[in-house]
Amino acid sequence: MQKAERRSAGLNTFGPGAQAVFHLVLGLFALLCILPFLFVIIISFTSEDSIRQIGYSFMPLSWATQAYSYVFALGNALWRSYFNSFLITVVGTLLSVSICVLYSYPLYRRDYKYRGFFNFLSFFTMIFGGGLVPTFVVCKTLLGLSDNYAALIVPLLFSPFNVIVMRTFFQTTVPGELIEAATIDGAGEYRTLLQVVLPVVKPGIATIALLNALAFWNEWFLSLLYITKNMDVIPLQYLLMRMQRNADFLAKNAGMLGADAAKAAQNLPSQSLKMALVVFIVVPIACAYPFFQRYVVAGLTVGSVKG
Amino acid sequence: MTNNGAVTPHNRRRWSRKNFWLTTMVLPGAIWLLLIRYLPMLGVVIAFKNYKAQKPNTFWNNLIKSEWVGLKNFQFLKSPSTVTMIRNTLAYNAVWIALGLVIAVLFAVMMSELKNRFMAKAYQTMMFFPYFLSWVVASYFVLAFLDPTSGMIPSIQKSLGYKPTQFYMTTTWWPLILTISNLWKNVGYSSVLYLAAITGIDTTLYEAAAVDGATKVQQVWHVTLPGIRSMIVILLIMAVGRIFNADFGLFYNVPQNSGPLYPVTQVIDTYVYNTYANTHNLGMSAAAGLLQSVVGCLCIVATNAIVRKIDADSSLF
Amino acid sequence: MKKLFALILALVMIMTAASVAMAEDLPTITIMFHGSNVTDDTAVLEAVNAYIADKVGAKLEVVWGTWGDFDEKATNALLSGDSGVDMVFTCSWSSDEYNTYAKNGYFVKLDDLIAEYGADLVAAIPESLMQAATIEGAEGMGIYAVNGFKDTATQNTWDVNVTLLNELGYTLDDFRAMSFYDFGELFQKAKEVKGDAFYPFLIEPMVLERMVTGSIIVAGDSGSTNLLSLYLNQDDVSAEGPYGNVLLNKFGTEEYKKFVEKMHEYYEAGYIDPSLAVAETSNDTRTNAQKTGEYLIGTQSYAFGYEYSPDVLSRGIEVAFVPCTDPYVDTTASQGAMMAISTASEHPVESFKFLALLNSDPTLMTLMNYGVEGVHYTLNADGLVEFTDERANYSPWTNGMGNVTMLPDTASEGAGFRESFKAYYAGAKGIPSLGFVFNNESVANEMAALGTVAAQYALALDAGAIDPEAALPEFLAALDAAGMQTYLDAANEQLTAYMAAK
Repeated sequence: MQKAERRSAGLNTFGPGAQAVFHLVLGLFALLCILPFLFVIIISFTSEDSIRQIGYSFMPLSWATQAYSYVFALGNALWRSYFNSFLITVVGTLLSVSICVLYSYPLYRRDYKYRGFFNFLSFFTMIFGGGLVPTFVVCKTLLGLSDNYAALIVPLLFSPFNVIVMRTFFQTTVPGELIEAATIDGAGEYRTLLQVVLPVVKPGIATIALLNALAFWNEWFLSLLYITKNMDVIPLQYLLMRMQRNADFLAKNAGMLGADAAKAAQNLPSQSLKMALVVFIVVPIACAYPFFQRYVVAGLTVGSVKG
Repeated sequence: MTNNGAVTPHNRRRWSRKNFWLTTMVLPGAIWLLLIRYLPMLGVVIAFKNYKAQKPNTFWNNLIKSEWVGLKNFQFLKSPSTVTMIRNTLAYNAVWIALGLVIAVLFAVMMSELKNRFMAKAYQTMMFFPYFLSWVVASYFVLAFLDPTSGMIPSIQKSLGYKPTQFYMTTTWWPLILTISNLWKNVGYSSVLYLAAITGIDTTLYEAAAVDGATKVQQVWHVTLPGIRSMIVILLIMAVGRIFNADFGLFYNVPQNSGPLYPVTQVIDTYVYNTYANTHNLGMSAAAGLLQSVVGCLCIVATNAIVRKIDADSSLF
Repeated sequence: MKKLFALILALVMIMTAASVAMAEDLPTITIMFHGSNVTDDTAVLEAVNAYIADKVGAKLEVVWGTWGDFDEKATNALLSGDSGVDMVFTCSWSSDEYNTYAKNGYFVKLDDLIAEYGADLVAAIPESLMQAATIEGAEGMGIYAVNGFKDTATQNTWDVNVTLLNELGYTLDDFRAMSFYDFGELFQKAKEVKGDAFYPFLIEPMVLERMVTGSIIVAGDSGSTNLLSLYLNQDDVSAEGPYGNVLLNKFGTEEYKKFVEKMHEYYEAGYIDPSLAVAETSNDTRTNAQKTGEYLIGTQSYAFGYEYSPDVLSRGIEVAFVPCTDPYVDTTASQGAMMAISTASEHPVESFKFLALLNSDPTLMTLMNYGVEGVHYTLNADGLVEFTDERANYSPWTNGMGNVTMLPDTASEGAGFRESFKAYYAGAKGIPSLGFVFNNESVANEMAALGTVAAQYALALDAGAIDPEAALPEFLAALDAAGMQTYLDAANEQLTAYMAAK
């Protein structure tokens, strides 16, 4: 914050004309970005009749809160999965950010002997993978990731992409002299990282924390794979995706299933219900976002070496 | 740029202790990688086998005992659709990497230069929104515009007395629609990365440039862009590494999997998905995955080599 | 001190493990169903486990697969040799397709188990279903799954909005006398009466194609978009069709050409909702219109008693289902819902005993399917089943479970329903090539390529959305380039051999 103000106040900036153009371009694009979300909210309040008659529209024929009463009628299943989503996201993000920072910091240290090896170890997995079934086998039979929270957290704990992003942050924002000074002061490696380096890379941490939180919050495929009997641990996103996938499946197999498909399709949730669930899913992460953003945009203490 | 933590060798013992402690930091991640990423890689051999249940039926036993079939699983490439899907995958990715890069950097620079910090934050928050919505949801949004019965555009055309365009039957508009959808979804996300990198630039550099009499545009050119060069290059290399992979949801959900659009929407990932749905052939999908990896690998190595020629500091390895 | 502590800890752990093992001396068997909507199975499983403890000698656990996630869950469990799933739903159209998975060794061959423990099972289900399940698997000719006794014949029908039909001045008999090619005048009148935004022809395009041309699905053909046609004898389904027992390129026949030309005419005239021609929106559109009765003529793959189901009764119109042909038994329909035992299972004997009981014991089937009496349903004065609100938390897919003919009649179906149901399907005739399954292994690559080509054109053509004059020749050329002839030859060679052996 401090730095941004310093820059805009003290240094020359783009003139008012350019500023206006910036506002216009960014504003238009930003509007385009939230429009679909408004649209989702509108659909969630649209009556089924209106959807049947004119489809999705920004101006529905009639409004209804029916979808939300359905959502609330899900009762325990809803709140339980909501709670699970939060739990998984918070625990997952804390763990994965720690692992990511710990992994990327030595990779940034040019004087670390195994830098090249571990760099490659992580990077290689971005391109090569074992495929779905072998990973499933290892996770389920070897690691016991089945019907528990761990199954929804562990497979996502590490992201080579985030490691590279984090390493780049270290490289661009932490000058070598800072480490050197700490070493000369006799600080251990962990102390150097925690007390000297971390404060400098806050924006980087906030960024990868955001990416991780989003990944955990939006995850549903792990639930599909690893949760078979214990439905008490599924997150909200899976609740939504399951409805979506049921509809898709019945659509594809209507010809094969005949009357059974028609009967099952009658019990599918309405579009507005799905949209109401989307609102439930998007709102918390959208609310959390400004907190991350504070760190991303806020000024940072570059040059703490120079005092 | 900076002399990253280069410690003068005044104490050799400290060196090995240092390596030890740094290795303990890497360890949690490394163990995870070995277990969850490397161990399953043994499964790559499925691409060269006719994978079937053996006696006793356990995965590793099936893997070992299944019959080798050489490159048979790769023969899906002989299909006449191959040229189309590879062309689509490469062309869309190439255009989007370039466009996405330019626009995201441009937006990040603009946001960092806005005097009104409140608005800058507001824009940034809003731009991130598409990243919260899945492609399934986004596809409803597109549908609301294009749906042949009740979509906004066909409705307007009808009310004006024109014959409504059958968007889901005609390929004409889809390269544009897909491009807009892709940018809409990803630009906000990458501009956040770039913006975070820009905030990391030492402000004294701008002061120095201003003292030298550099205009704002010159400052952007000579200070901001070089400052985020590593980030640009890294994201670029990684994007190029995935040039053979396509965003499945975008190509599947947004065009509603409509057949007549395949000539412009069929990409490797949707092709493999549809093929697997038809044949349930594990070997074939393993082969496709392996192929994507190998091509991605080659692309990364090539890009990295080029980057290293130009600027060794920014290269990935 | 430390060692002592470790020793005590180890002892405690061993003892707990032992006591757990003592309490659970019955092995646990797990079954995976398809299409379930179950959120609370505690009461049911408690009752089931008390009931089967002696009879089966095992404790049951259930994975309630849903429509959307069953395919992934089942194929993952099978392909990964997961011993945690003992029994799994399979059939001719699911991802763990019966014939393929049996051939590849994922399913236990049941013949010996049937001989030893299956007397009741054999008595409970018709011989024809056993025959339909008898295929060439990994262990040779045999039965690799217990075949569910349900609606085992296919019958496609016109779904007619009689209320509107009468309003237009026609009777149901007038309609019965008409063919698909005469519908135009009906549609035109409907448009005049109901306005321009009304779409009278509500179709599943792929089903409509089969109804009009009289072709059937060939088991083993490409899944989502069929490539092969076998033409029925529409007057007598058990007799040979117009082309004999020969498989044809579905899109290359005169019948097909005539059909898509007419469809394009209907489409251009505005009789068909354009959303029906787009893969992902087609079914939603159809379901919505059907729900509200906003159509004149639709297509419906029919099952006996469907007209009495709540979703038909709640449409607010009078509905009639007019069949195109008599119900016919083909391989696809006769392998419509089965239960197989995974070769990775550690308890195949207990698993089989359970499946045999489930398919022959009305008490167990009712319990598993309808839930606990007094909780999920009650019996009314006539002894008919009336579901309670609790049923919403326990609704498995009735037909996916096994022998549903043993279920008691429900109040909405009326007394005697299951008996007439059985009689109806017992009277269904088999087509001449019943039992034939195309083994596509040798042409898997062609099939993959052809499937993509077909997905590009078939739905749009069937729905009439694109002009066949340009698109059909283009489509056929693309099929040829993708190896249609090779595919067709392989299929016909197998069919000829099969018919000769039969």
